[in-house]
Amino acid sequence: MESSRIRSIYGGDQIVVKTKSKIEEEINAIFSTDRPWVTIVWDDPVNLMDYVTYVFMELFSYSRERATELMMKVHTEGKAVVSEGTREEMEHDVARLHEYGLWATLQHGDQG
Amino acid sequence: MGNASTWRSRLMSESHGFTRHGEELFVAQFSDSEKEVLINLSQQIIELLAERVDHNDQDPLAAMVGITTHDSPPDDEVLLRLLPNAYADGVDASEFRRYTESVLRTKKQAHAMSIRTMLMSSEDGSIELNHDLANAWLGGINDIRLALGVRLNVEKNSHEELELLAPDDPMRGVYGVYSWLGWLQGNLLQALMDGLES
Repeated sequence: MESSRIRSIYGGDQIVVKTKSKIEEEINAIFSTDRPWVTIVWDDPVNLMDYVTYVFMELFSYSRERATELMMKVHTEGKAVVSEGTREEMEHDVARLHEYGLWATLQHGDQG
Repeated sequence: MGNASTWRSRLMSESHGFTRHGEELFVAQFSDSEKEVLINLSQQIIELLAERVDHNDQDPLAAMVGITTHDSPPDDEVLLRLLPNAYADGVDASEFRRYTESVLRTKKQAHAMSIRTMLMSSEDGSIELNHDLANAWLGGINDIRLALGVRLNVEKNSHEELELLAPDDPMRGVYGVYSWLGWLQGNLLQALMDGLES
């Protein structure tokens, strides 16, 4: 993943329009420790509550209590931050959540 | 396919769903009609995901390391739900998709394939899953439910509305299968969770 990012910042074979401020933002992100990247799971009408709980337990080794709490937050508030870490770690988490059909995205910092 | 309630009650009465045997074995017995439905729907998921496979002009080296030519989200609503964007930002989402989508597709196809091949090779419809296979089945059943859910538009239609579909509405049969799969998935989850310490 890291190589792809460097590639996109410096051009690579695709035309990527990234402004200077975007590059600065990414560089800042690499060195910033106070605002980690987060993985967010969004509510959807298909996934069973038990299934969402089970996936959190399997993928993140969360206790049943913690996994249930996060599932309820997704269910009642529409979304929940389920993990925090580096951008690479969150990309890995999102990929695994997608594998099990949960609707997940990652972003820098907990913006709501 | 019959109407929702007939289908669901017929399927449910035929199957007892999954039960735990010992430490790590989950066993179920499927009827011929249940087998047929699961094999057919798994096959459709495999084929649907294959529609995203890259064109012949794909760089073979890129293909080998799992980089795809796809960096835009799928047009098809079902495919978009199965292969969603990882970022709200379009540029980041495209880049992520370009480097990860083919792996995700392969994993989802493998889940569907494990349902399909196990059922096809089980003459009497009996299935035994270890923990890893149970996870593959959960993911595979979930993908089918996600696909049917998009077609049924469960985002907009409530379960009460779907229960009241007219007997001649083709979606009524789809909803019956969707409900049955939810029941089957819930019951495999129950068997799995019974063995997990909290």
